[in-house]
Amino acid sequence: MLALLVTLPIAAFIAILFGAPARLTAIAASAINLALGLYAAITWQCGCWTFSLPVLAKPSLHLAFGFADGMSAVMILLSVIVTLAAVLSGKAPEGKEKLYFGSSLLISAGALGAFAATDLFFFFAFHELALIPTFLMIGMLGRGDRREAAWKITIYLGLGSMVLLAGLVWLANLTGTYDMALMVKAAHQVDPASQKGIAALLLVGFGTLVSLFPFHSWAAPAYASAPAPVAMLHAGVLKKFGLYGLLRLAIPLVPEGLQFWLTPLLVLLLGNILWVGWVTISQKRLDSMLGNSSVMHMGYIFLAIAALIAFPANPLAQSAAVVLMFAHGISIALLFGLADRIERSTGTLDLQELGGLAKSAPGLAFLFGIAAMASIGLPGLANFSGEILVFLAAFKSYNGTSGLGPVQITCILSIWGVVISAVYMLRAYRKTFQGPSVAATANADDLTLADRIPATLLIITLFAVGLYPNLLLNLLK
Amino acid sequence: MNLAWILLFLPLAIAAANQLILKKTGLAPLLSTASALGTFALAVMLLGKNETSHFAWATLGDFSINIGIKLDQLSTGMMIVVTGIGLLVHVFSLAYMKEDEAKARYFTSLSLFMFSMTGIVLADNFIMTFIFWELVGLSSFLLIGHWYQKNSAADAAKKAFLCNRIGDFGFMVGILMLWGITGHLGFDQMKSGLAAFQAANPAIFSSVLSAAVLCIFCGAIGKSAQLPLHVWLPDAMEGPTPVSALIHAATMVAAGVYMLFRLQFTLGFEAFEALQASTVIAWTGGITALVAALMATQQNDIKRVLAYSTLSQLGYMVMAVGLVHGEAGMFHLFTHAWFKALLFLGSGAVIYACHHEQDIWKMGGLLKKMPITGFTFLIGFAALIAVPYTSGFFSKEQILEAAHEKEPILFWIAAVVAVLTPFYMTRLYVVAFLGKNRSENASHAHEVGPLMLGPLVILAVLGVIAGFPFVASKFAPAYLQPEHLVHLGFVTYVSVGALAIGVLTGFMVYAGKEKDPISIPLLQNRFYVDGFYDNFIVRYFQDTFASIIAFFDEWVINGLIVNGLSRSAESLGNRFRLIQSGSLQGYAFVFGLGVLIVVYFIVFGR
Amino acid sequence: MASLNDYLLVSGLLFAIGLAGVVVRRNIIVVFMCLELMLSAANLTLVAFSRFHPAANGLPDYNGQMLVFFVITVAAAEVAVGLAIIVALYRARQTIHTDDLTSLKG
Repeated sequence: MLALLVTLPIAAFIAILFGAPARLTAIAASAINLALGLYAAITWQCGCWTFSLPVLAKPSLHLAFGFADGMSAVMILLSVIVTLAAVLSGKAPEGKEKLYFGSSLLISAGALGAFAATDLFFFFAFHELALIPTFLMIGMLGRGDRREAAWKITIYLGLGSMVLLAGLVWLANLTGTYDMALMVKAAHQVDPASQKGIAALLLVGFGTLVSLFPFHSWAAPAYASAPAPVAMLHAGVLKKFGLYGLLRLAIPLVPEGLQFWLTPLLVLLLGNILWVGWVTISQKRLDSMLGNSSVMHMGYIFLAIAALIAFPANPLAQSAAVVLMFAHGISIALLFGLADRIERSTGTLDLQELGGLAKSAPGLAFLFGIAAMASIGLPGLANFSGEILVFLAAFKSYNGTSGLGPVQITCILSIWGVVISAVYMLRAYRKTFQGPSVAATANADDLTLADRIPATLLIITLFAVGLYPNLLLNLLK
Repeated sequence: MNLAWILLFLPLAIAAANQLILKKTGLAPLLSTASALGTFALAVMLLGKNETSHFAWATLGDFSINIGIKLDQLSTGMMIVVTGIGLLVHVFSLAYMKEDEAKARYFTSLSLFMFSMTGIVLADNFIMTFIFWELVGLSSFLLIGHWYQKNSAADAAKKAFLCNRIGDFGFMVGILMLWGITGHLGFDQMKSGLAAFQAANPAIFSSVLSAAVLCIFCGAIGKSAQLPLHVWLPDAMEGPTPVSALIHAATMVAAGVYMLFRLQFTLGFEAFEALQASTVIAWTGGITALVAALMATQQNDIKRVLAYSTLSQLGYMVMAVGLVHGEAGMFHLFTHAWFKALLFLGSGAVIYACHHEQDIWKMGGLLKKMPITGFTFLIGFAALIAVPYTSGFFSKEQILEAAHEKEPILFWIAAVVAVLTPFYMTRLYVVAFLGKNRSENASHAHEVGPLMLGPLVILAVLGVIAGFPFVASKFAPAYLQPEHLVHLGFVTYVSVGALAIGVLTGFMVYAGKEKDPISIPLLQNRFYVDGFYDNFIVRYFQDTFASIIAFFDEWVINGLIVNGLSRSAESLGNRFRLIQSGSLQGYAFVFGLGVLIVVYFIVFGR
Repeated sequence: MASLNDYLLVSGLLFAIGLAGVVVRRNIIVVFMCLELMLSAANLTLVAFSRFHPAANGLPDYNGQMLVFFVITVAAAEVAVGLAIIVALYRARQTIHTDDLTSLKG
């Protein structure tokens, strides 16, 4: 069943290549996948979701899928939801439907494969598979400086993957297996000296994929010029692969090594939150602002990871990271989808040229408002549930007697990021939707019913997790 | 207990129904008003209950964040204020907003506000308080920015939200610290946790608690608009006037005081005696009261005068909490809510009658044109300046007593405020309601309809009687001892004397004047604080700083490091390109050479 | 009688001549013939090993000779295809000199 989940988008991709109607096929495949994914997320504990196909005898290599824990199930859920929303809200340029929807499906398949894989090789390979269509789509169908953006993301992620691959190979050599479950069991074979090295490689490798400061400058231009479904899928889903990898491999396998790098990690994540936060404030375009904001919010998830490193066996931190990954994926996908819609309505995303859009497009204003509020962590929407858990996780060991530790101080500084994100989000909202109407927005058309469906899907998810986070937390148990 | 849950979720359900289904039908205003009526009835039914109930909102192993309801005198009394004024404001709005295009959105936001405010009041733990704390910020944002096409309204909404966010930064940190210290988030368990901490660490107890309390106080500074985050409240007057009455005078801005008192009440008053944080809180309140009263004396917009007056009264309440006489503050919150809502709704009626003219110098003579409004406004005015035996008198007396007992300097500051308050209110009343009409709009004003007058009359009655022991001891959100409420003494003489001086000077200066005889630019420009924030903090500090960082990000990190990397990769690639000659035989030669090397290593290599 | 080493020496020489031809000659037909020469060298080796490493029953190891037949037949097919390609190439480019065929240049 799990293999079906992964291969369905690939099958749909092949069908599209052979002439099936691109949009319909993509939507159908994603809808089926959403149903499957929901079912999988609810029943992942039954043990019936495993799949294994021997590929090589020596070294033993299996194309294997399964749910190691609730985290994979949640990530699968995230992928299928965002995929459906992405293919529903994307509008392909004339004559490029095959490329547009086919690539979206491939990215989705790659993400699903990476999150479902239990074998190190395929874990890595599926992610790389998803990157290729990402590069192609940005380069061929993007907007603005698409070539430069495509090159930059290619070089960055290529280098990041290389570093990551080195770390993974080192790890596989020491543990002597590619099976991730067995690797974790053999964690004691990783000696302290190697731990430091591997931890550094994994942090930089996974970190680059997640746009950890200072390896972040690929993200904003890439998302700004990517077509909507790619931005949604990459920022929403694929980027979480790096965090997922850190939680899945680095934390259980090289805990001491990560301890060693804790202080640099804290500094870097503050770079994400504060530095990139300030950068975001000064953006003049909605798309690059959203791109930067997605980089900034990664800092909070890294904070959860840092809390997990600093205080091992901190169930709060683990869940906090997963909830926030999920919430951020949904909300950023929603924002990118709606920003694309704004551009289609008004022809521009330059904040100086926009204003008063709420008058002509109240539906768009309402949905974008919810998305913006979600992204700045308003209670009742999913991101808040994640952020509050992250903060609580960071304060887990504080009891007043010994003063604030480095993680707590980082946490306090990160909470200032909540103010920063409110500044840029509200400023963008103010400039886009409020104030008197201007030329670009006076006759802008509002959302059609078809436009509302993907946004509503994402918003319902945001509300469900925000109003009652136990829905998601129960999956993690 | 189920009633309390209905009380909490009814407005949310109504807001959702309005937004999703009833937007276009015109039923939204009625439904929202009906829900306000329902919540008021529920609040009355719950009065005097003492119960708690909760469910787990987020569970992680043995740790869980709860959503819970705590009913006690404090919360049920506060609910009377919130739902009572809420109901009257809904009714008033039915008339006030009759011609607005976006009525449905307005009433949806009002219902959302009622939900959020109820959440703050009934919360049984700090995370829940924080959740609803942020949600009232959102509803306030929506309501201030109701006329979002006006630049000033949109900016004011943004400013309000951001000021609150800055306060919430501290609030969140404070909650986390308090959680660390006491080990609990729920109000009921915190006290024992704190006692255990005190027993274990007597030496650092006071400083750690002070730090946590001050952080939490930041939240109150933002929400209750104390110095230095007071700037948003006067700007918030850009919203529709009934909103100003409900949110920016009676309930939401009082939430900061309520929360501080809840904190004291939870942790025990004895922990706050002689705590440095309490001193800071008291002084912040006192200075806010003074500064805001000074600024109020030179404002010309009727709503802005009232807004600064609200700031100043909130300062009183915060000061009372800081002096660890929270009951006095809560009592003042209770009486102030009624008469300030009255004043705001009265000003709303005036503004409505004068075709949205807000400048008091363009009004004048309105008492004759609108006698009922003018008379009810007079009652509110009397209660605000603490004329003996109006509600404001009783509660202000309590605060002055507290200040007199604890901190003489603050007492004298409060006394100065007690002179300034009658002064600027007399100015307002004399200029707007007496004399002769000074503009076209004012001369065409006529009395407003019964939907607006009804709430005014009810509030006028409450503005008088709310301070009497038989009302206050039952409904006020504080544990008051009726026998202490009226107590003649030195403080009373100071207070009455201040009142007399204020009214007389106000009357002498402003009676019969056509324009303001006093002009103090410093006060007109609100001590230049707003300008300082806009120009220095926002424009120079934040934006310039952001541009500098963006520049570094673009040119140093991106330009030098990244492009440097990509350049070196490119040049390396160019070297390798030379090998690709395209000569087939060259390739074959290299291939053969490769095979030879492999053979060599296989045969001779071992 | 010639020993295994003699056969291998001849085969190696043939191979070397073939490789040198492939690398040095510019006419693509000659290059092609030299390739065939290299195949013959390999065939010779196979036959020699088949003869000098008999199976358990004393007969030569026919596997090697079988392989030679396969190589010869496939090579015949390959010659046909190869010459066809060269003819097509000549029609397209009017040359069969390797110096002129550098479209692989990066």
